Amino acid sequence: MSLPNLLIPLMVIIPITCALFLNLLHERIRTVKVISIVVAFALPIIPLFANYGTHYFGGYAPLIQNPISADLPTLITGTALYIFHPAITYVYGSAQKLMIFILGIVGLFAIFISLYEVKKPSGVYIYLMLMGIASITAMLLSDDIFNLYVFFEIAALAQVGIVLVSKIKNNYETALKYMILGGIASPILLLGIALLLGVTGNVNITDIVYSIRNGLINPQSPVLLMACSLIIFGWLYGTGLPPFHVIKSAMYSKALPTGAALLQAFSVFSLVAFGVIIIRIFSYIPFTHVFLLAISLIAMVLGITMAITQTDFKRLIAFLAVGELGYIGAGFGLGTVFGITAGLFQAVNESIITALLFIGFGTIMYKTKETDMQKLGGMLVATPKSALFVLLAGIALAGVPPFNAFQSKLMLVQASLNSGLPEIAIIMVLMSIVTFMTFMRAFHTIYLRPKPVDLEIKNEKIPKITLVAMVIFLAICLLLGLYPHLATNFLQGLAMSIT
Amino acid sequence: MIEYIFMITAILGAIISLMQRDLLKVAILTGIPGASIAFLYQYLQAPDVALTQAIVGSAIVPVFFALAVLRTRRVEE
Amino acid sequence: MIIDTQLAALFTAGALIVIGIFGALFLDNLIKKVIALAFIGDGANLFLVSLGYKAGGIVYIFLPGMAMSNFSQNASYPLPYALVLTSIVIGASTMAVMLGIIIILNKKYGSISASKILGE
Repeated sequence: MSLPNLLIPLMVIIPITCALFLNLLHERIRTVKVISIVVAFALPIIPLFANYGTHYFGGYAPLIQNPISADLPTLITGTALYIFHPAITYVYGSAQKLMIFILGIVGLFAIFISLYEVKKPSGVYIYLMLMGIASITAMLLSDDIFNLYVFFEIAALAQVGIVLVSKIKNNYETALKYMILGGIASPILLLGIALLLGVTGNVNITDIVYSIRNGLINPQSPVLLMACSLIIFGWLYGTGLPPFHVIKSAMYSKALPTGAALLQAFSVFSLVAFGVIIIRIFSYIPFTHVFLLAISLIAMVLGITMAITQTDFKRLIAFLAVGELGYIGAGFGLGTVFGITAGLFQAVNESIITALLFIGFGTIMYKTKETDMQKLGGMLVATPKSALFVLLAGIALAGVPPFNAFQSKLMLVQASLNSGLPEIAIIMVLMSIVTFMTFMRAFHTIYLRPKPVDLEIKNEKIPKITLVAMVIFLAICLLLGLYPHLATNFLQGLAMSIT
Repeated sequence: MIEYIFMITAILGAIISLMQRDLLKVAILTGIPGASIAFLYQYLQAPDVALTQAIVGSAIVPVFFALAVLRTRRVEE
Repeated sequence: MIIDTQLAALFTAGALIVIGIFGALFLDNLIKKVIALAFIGDGANLFLVSLGYKAGGIVYIFLPGMAMSNFSQNASYPLPYALVLTSIVIGASTMAVMLGIIIILNKKYGSISASKILGE
């Protein structure tokens, strides 16, 4: 085993170990700060230095790569056993590199801001954030569907934890509701995985795909269709697509701004991780594409139209975020290489832009402790810099050039036109316009209209790190918007390999 | 034949435990399906899973429920 | 007679999942809801274990002194069992978190009825 490949499991192991360690010393503030800063920097840096490759846990490579296999009888070498993966396998390619890097950047700033915005940083909060980041990283890397399920559960628990520590009104109720739904949805996901295991005898996704493509099992078996629908149900729960969009957006709005920024990144990347698997395994069933497209369109329309009626600005962004998830799902549903690349690109863009929006509007909460838009106004005077950044982020979210979401939405529209589905392109463009209008209305009420008399603005300065984070997020948006090939070149390989 | 007995105790135990009004009884009765499932695991040739389930399903989980009941309220309103 | 074990296990799994889903949807008491959710998890685990069962087979643990050929032909499939061990522990920990939240909510509302706490 060469040294560079060791970095692949370390992307998961380092955050988990440090998280467990931080949880033990929540009283010692200095130690907590030092360790969290070091780990936060490690999050985006490790994926940059890791080499592409495959990691077999325990070193159990498939027999075909094993030197002892030269002496094995043809009884074994002649069958598919020879190429099956006996160990949990992590695959690290260029797409994973970009997505884990982006997740790391969001995590880095979420941790930094949470360290500097509060007087006494709590080790428990950092612990939950790191656990979530580690499990989503593992979901992106893992090629083993049961390993994916385990980290899916850990991520769900971490998300609940992030909501529980926020001390926002009614956060316990929302968390309990989310967990009760999860208590139904995750056994259903497990049942889907069990059916897949029962049919193919495997949990490694590459091997499952091999079994289906090469006729080792009957691909038209109704059990596979059942497994497909059960896994899709679990996926809907984990990512907050309809019918779970209401509870998911409630979860975002009950978390602290930094927590919400991370939660939406978790949803986006778990959508990608599961979407890739669903397309890889079940893309031969026509039902899958139709269902993915339908549910994505419903998510777009429901998410964005429900955002219009909200009065709480965090809830508004949460619904917009759910609506944007629909674009990613639509990219997967189109099923072409171009469409999936566009969907993955949109995932990368959206996780940055929505994180920026949550953090940007978080400055208002920091200044006024108020989230109701009816009671807010005239914040432009109090926070001019962050107002500018938020405005740019909202423009980016709606898909206005020169920002990154413009490029990915353009790609999505082109992909749906190429697939002969102009209706979807029209809905996408319309929903972008509605997104822009919704955002501008919120921006006007919060920043531009005269300040209500009874609104108290605290005199505390916004921490520098928050502004730095917003500038860096905007810089990434602008960079990817001007040079979209920086991202699409990384993502295209994954899209080609799964179709 | 003995599997069928455990099947019946598991299902009946689950139904009966959910039908009680005294929540402490509910918590304790939860152990019955847990233990029956542990025996089923044993008959399904999985002794290590059976051991885990026997500890978790018939001891730890009911104790958790009982503790939660003692910290909240005992009778369903 | 031999296949009966698997059939009994599958039937139990199905019944537990159905009971659990009914309980989770229709029971008002939060602790009972959580118990019903635990039943769904148990049912899913039992289903997973019954997949690895081999009629007339032997336990998949290789002990010294066993004949290799006999073991490899008759042992049941161990992969699902390994997965279930993880799944049981995950289920128990999720449930503990839910009970913790319920205890806190009881302090706030003085009640553990779902319609009072979760209904808005």
